[in-house]
Amino acid sequence: MKQTAHIVHTGIITAIGNDTAACTAALHSGVSGIGHSVNLATRWRDELPVGAVQADNAELAELTGVPAHWPRTALLSAVAVQEAWQPFSDLAGTLRAGFFSANTVGGMDLTESFYARFMKDRDLTGLNAVCHHECGAITELVARHFGIGGFVTTISTACSSSANSIMMAAQMIRAGMLDVAVAGGADSLSLFTLNGFNSLMILDRQPCRPFDNDRQGLNLGEGAGYVTLMNERAMQQCGAQAICTVSGYANANDAYHQTASSPEGTGNILAMRGALATASLAPADIDYINLHGTGTANNDSSEGKAVTEVFGNSVPAVSSTKAYTGHTLGAAGGVEAVFSAISIRDGVVFPNLRWQRQMEDIDWQPVTTLRTGQDIRHVLSNSFGFGGNCSSLIFSKQG
Amino acid sequence: MDLYINGAGLICAAGSNAADDFLKGDISWHTDRLEAREPDYTGLIPPMQLRRMSKAVRMGVAAAKTCLAQTGIEKPDALSVGTALGCLYDTEQFLSRMIEREEQQLTPTAFIQSTHNTVAGQIALLLGCNGHNLTFVHRGHSFEHALLNARLYLNDHPEHVVLAGGIDELTETSLLLMQRGGIYHSQTVDHTDLYEKCRKGSVAGEGAGFFTVTNRPLTDTFLHIKSLHFFATATEQEANRQVAQFIATLPVAEDEIELLLLGMSGDQRWSGVYDHIRSERFRNATKSGFKHLTGEYATASAAGLGLLMHEAVSGTHRRIVFINNYLDHYSCWYLEQGC
Repeated sequence: MKQTAHIVHTGIITAIGNDTAACTAALHSGVSGIGHSVNLATRWRDELPVGAVQADNAELAELTGVPAHWPRTALLSAVAVQEAWQPFSDLAGTLRAGFFSANTVGGMDLTESFYARFMKDRDLTGLNAVCHHECGAITELVARHFGIGGFVTTISTACSSSANSIMMAAQMIRAGMLDVAVAGGADSLSLFTLNGFNSLMILDRQPCRPFDNDRQGLNLGEGAGYVTLMNERAMQQCGAQAICTVSGYANANDAYHQTASSPEGTGNILAMRGALATASLAPADIDYINLHGTGTANNDSSEGKAVTEVFGNSVPAVSSTKAYTGHTLGAAGGVEAVFSAISIRDGVVFPNLRWQRQMEDIDWQPVTTLRTGQDIRHVLSNSFGFGGNCSSLIFSKQG
Repeated sequence: MDLYINGAGLICAAGSNAADDFLKGDISWHTDRLEAREPDYTGLIPPMQLRRMSKAVRMGVAAAKTCLAQTGIEKPDALSVGTALGCLYDTEQFLSRMIEREEQQLTPTAFIQSTHNTVAGQIALLLGCNGHNLTFVHRGHSFEHALLNARLYLNDHPEHVVLAGGIDELTETSLLLMQRGGIYHSQTVDHTDLYEKCRKGSVAGEGAGFFTVTNRPLTDTFLHIKSLHFFATATEQEANRQVAQFIATLPVAEDEIELLLLGMSGDQRWSGVYDHIRSERFRNATKSGFKHLTGEYATASAAGLGLLMHEAVSGTHRRIVFINNYLDHYSCWYLEQGC
């Protein structure tokens, strides 16, 4: 008998707030977190806006009591995991627990600072700066601090990383292998990723405009987003209430180009259709799509055509929330899973900020003003990335 | 865990299992590392693409193609890859240029290829594989988690074939920093004393191992993974306890194990666990290490599995236990060979 993976709680930190309540308030009031980074020492500070978390490393560390010398990705992860896990940490003792995290930069913020000095002096000491370079090291720092799991893993599939960690956690709960899981991901801004995306010439020099005909690219963001998943037994033991379930998921590969999406969105279509199939839902059942919607010409065009292909003439309410947070890369799937859960819980559809002009290659438009009082039963969340990695998740209201 | 391994592609210091001189040529023991002996890539990777590929990517792609050829299939349904450190060479290329050029006039090629999912992405691209595609980056369990993911995928798609692999590359910088950090030693050793002398640190290695993984055998010679238990612990006592528990739950009697493959690396910090197993357990088994053929790295368990597949062709040992560690990440495997 298959179990159900219920989302019972969330944890999040992004440019628009340090917890679920603060992010929800910003989403409601339409306040974007895009601006100029205070904490990132880049020459592009004034030219490339980002979605930076409004706290330096010492302030982040203080929120959870972890050492401030941790990589920033671990500091962000700890804040969101603390919110997602703390209500249950004393109750979940005998349950089989897992921690599924994801990131793309690992400890790169510390590595890049070390490496600049190392280039001048190969005998440089102070290896503590690079000992958490690995993506997996970030996960282990956080897992050990909070004593979570059991099973601990890290996934890195570029911009779809944390959608995949939620998918795997849901699979293991459904298969009866775990009772409870914290799943999502984190990424901090770094010079490496900022300059990497800048070299690809896909960064907007203004706040991004996803799904607008005149969009000029994406803004990078940072943050962390996790959902706490439980089966029925764990919910009973912890006295937890379900917000929604992870009812569908699929992972596909575009197999078109290392960084670009195929024009017709092959991988996107496969991921969305696969998720619908897992959830045994028809396209018409979906009430809201949280788009990947980065704001690049390529992504939004491919994703837009793929949505048209899957949903035909009845595209549901859709929006990208990246105009609020920036593209948080390895955290994006987790952050948007939290937003999807809030959408179901509160019956809201968040607006696609800064949208002005209809895209020429699609004939539907995103939601541009906040919708409240909706009965949101099923949300589809898309996460697509480099390496052709495409993942879609479906979150469903119960009953 | 219950999986069939049907074909293998392996590239390590002992060569490529597709080449005639696999395990035969000299392993270079006169330096402080065991570099992979890379094959002639002609016929495996188109030359235009090969030129742009770092060692991690070309080893991964070639091992994947070798594995598919061995299995006799052209395209898997899904890909599941483990790499602890990802594409280090391209990461360093982009990082050093970014620092030298003070964040200006950067070309994206190295950045594009630096992401951890590059190997899985390139394999999908070259094979035109639109299926499920995941990359695990969880330290010494990266490959084991890729296999667990294959298991989960096959639960939902029982007839499919998953291509699962583990890969890590060594660069001059990673070697230097990991030597300084005490993970690797910088001595020149050879295979006659690797396992016998006590040292702090192991000999550095690298490689790629890929496998076709299914719910039922596809080929005449296969390995059946009947259990896979992994755990992380910093203490020898806990490692001994977990290993003992694994042995206690084996589906056959301990004395019926015919081959014991051990991931000892000559590092004194972890040798206690292996010393105990070698001297006290599995008294009827042929006992062997493999890191004298591969060196030590986070996904070396994929190389160990590849060597077991290679060994399976001769069909000598039916019941096999494989115990490995990379630092404080351990895995314990029970496999049966079929033919």
